[in-house]
Amino acid sequence: MNVGELDILLVEDNQDDMDLALHALRRGNLANNIFVVRDGEEALDFLFCRGAYAHRSFALPPKLVLLDLKLPKVDGMVVLKQTKSDTRTKTIPIVIMTSSKEERDLAESYKLGVNSYIQKPVDFDQFRDTVKSVGLYWLVTNQAPVTDGSKQLAGATHDSR
Amino acid sequence: MKQVSIILLVDDNPADVDLARVALQETLHRVQVESVGDGEAALSFLNRTGIHAEKLRPDLVILDLNLPKKDGRTVLAELKANADLHTIPIVVFSTSRSAPDIGRSYELGANCYVSKPGNLKDYLAAVQAIEQFWFGSASLPTKGQLN
Amino acid sequence: MTPADDLGAPPGQLRVLHVEDNALDAELVAQALRKGGFSASVVVVQTEAEFARELSSNCPDVVLADYNLPQWKGMEALEVLQRQGLDIPLILVSGALGDVTAVECIKRGATDYVLKDGLARLPEAVRRALQEKHLLHLRRLAEGNLARKVEELARSNADLEQFAYVASHDLQEPLRMVAAYTQLLAERYQGRLDEDADKFIGYACEGASRMQALILDLLAFSRVGRCGAVCGRVDCDAAVEEVLLSLGPAMQASGAVVTHAALPVVWADRSQMTQVFQNLIGNAIKFHGKEPPAISVQAEKADEQWMFSVSDNGIGIAPEYAENIFVVFQRLHTRTEYPGNGIGLAVCKKIIEHCGGKIWVDAQVGHGSTFKFTLPAAAPAEEGCARL
Repeated sequence: MNVGELDILLVEDNQDDMDLALHALRRGNLANNIFVVRDGEEALDFLFCRGAYAHRSFALPPKLVLLDLKLPKVDGMVVLKQTKSDTRTKTIPIVIMTSSKEERDLAESYKLGVNSYIQKPVDFDQFRDTVKSVGLYWLVTNQAPVTDGSKQLAGATHDSR
Repeated sequence: MKQVSIILLVDDNPADVDLARVALQETLHRVQVESVGDGEAALSFLNRTGIHAEKLRPDLVILDLNLPKKDGRTVLAELKANADLHTIPIVVFSTSRSAPDIGRSYELGANCYVSKPGNLKDYLAAVQAIEQFWFGSASLPTKGQLN
Repeated sequence: MTPADDLGAPPGQLRVLHVEDNALDAELVAQALRKGGFSASVVVVQTEAEFARELSSNCPDVVLADYNLPQWKGMEALEVLQRQGLDIPLILVSGALGDVTAVECIKRGATDYVLKDGLARLPEAVRRALQEKHLLHLRRLAEGNLARKVEELARSNADLEQFAYVASHDLQEPLRMVAAYTQLLAERYQGRLDEDADKFIGYACEGASRMQALILDLLAFSRVGRCGAVCGRVDCDAAVEEVLLSLGPAMQASGAVVTHAALPVVWADRSQMTQVFQNLIGNAIKFHGKEPPAISVQAEKADEQWMFSVSDNGIGIAPEYAENIFVVFQRLHTRTEYPGNGIGLAVCKKIIEHCGGKIWVDAQVGHGSTFKFTLPAAAPAEEGCARL
């Protein structure tokens, strides 16, 4: 699959939410390369460059991971915990996007080191706007850690006369 | 009772602090802005010691890297190692665009890294974007939590 | 202690340390030296202990040694000298040795060998040995000086570039404050104070913004040498295409047409080459006359070099300024006539010269300009984009 620079890894098992998110991100011209996985196990394989994703390199992580919590096979919280406790992957920005309203989930996520936590709005339009603003903030405003794969200096270069 | 959202600005340049305040005045949410000018004061504020004993816990910290006394990286490391304080989101806000500074900040646990733009318009927009995301889109850890 | 002031024939005493057990042979050697014009003071020793003692108390100018002694070997004396790191020439004065042995001794470090029944040669051998030593000493001095000078130069260049970098980098901070707050003032108080205030604030804003551009340009200029070029194969066609993309708006506004012939692949730093094309083509677009700019970029091979040319139909340059324009901050027009800091061509010059090329301009007022520069064609062994 796409071995080059990846903007977003979207971890989502709900088809509707996934479609909406992809639509919002692409519409806003925020991300060119978005890769989708549908369960926690696949997410871990992807991030840890193993199994079906053994060809991937730790030097080219996604700029952002949008992670749902309720996932089949391996739960989102476990994905978060494992990613944030391994030096090879802990600097990857992870934003949880979940429909859960549990205080516990919110608290636990931040404890485990999530970069930020978003509650998915129920409303269709609000959901789309939220995804767009998340994309905008994490891909445009924010500077993702620069890896070996992307050797550019963060920020624009100035051309002199 | 709805608590006021509190942002702690950690920046030794009063001009930048004032600019940030200008930017934050125009936002939709009610945000109280506190500021300190050096790393030691930042830690004292967050640990609620000394003159900062009565301070409330901030919801968000916007942290410059180059600070007198204790520098931003040290503050970041200490906060993220603190069992009580490490869940407070920290936005590193610095003029540095260097890959090592960015990488190091993430390694130390920064939630995100925003470069301070060079011109006024973009600077204000950046601060507003930070506020808009963290108090508009994101859910912050509630303050009642300990560890 | 060293006979550094001695030339082939030492003016003063020649201090000789002679390893020899036969008194007669020793006398003959001393005589040979005297006959050869030396005023020599000779100390004769037989054993290693005596040798070592004499060495430390009275450092000789030259050591003469018999090859075969009952208690000791002449070559062992050589080893003592080598172990102590003493630069004293050792000449074997011996009976017949045989060529193989003789060559072996020379290989091991003996300066020369003279047969005992050919002592007439001895003074000559001594002279030559001393002269060689002196020349070696001079050469080492010169090399040392050169190495020091190169180091100083490198350091001074590095200092200069470091200074330019630090100055421009550190200046950005306070400048940012001035620029931001003058702009804030303009936004908040425009029309609310008086006309003068609006004008003054306007000047301040403009000054700050120009300073910001200047600092960024200076930084770019200082970066040329400081960051070291990463040389590789650069496709100039691709580089020019990239430049035309970024100059798109300017080209559209002026109606500029830029053509380029098939450009070669050169050995250079990609981002620097792009910078050169950006500056030259950008200038060609900027300094246009009444007609829309028509610019052409070409290259031809001459000897081991590529010669590039960027020609335009713009306002041209008076020949007396042809060299001046490459000086940093040199401008030929006022800011109201044409914008710019006057650093673009200086940057080009620095980059090209770092790559081992030259840059110049053929132009006349009102008849357009052709900027030309050369670049080495192939990947050089060690130089090319030399970092100083």
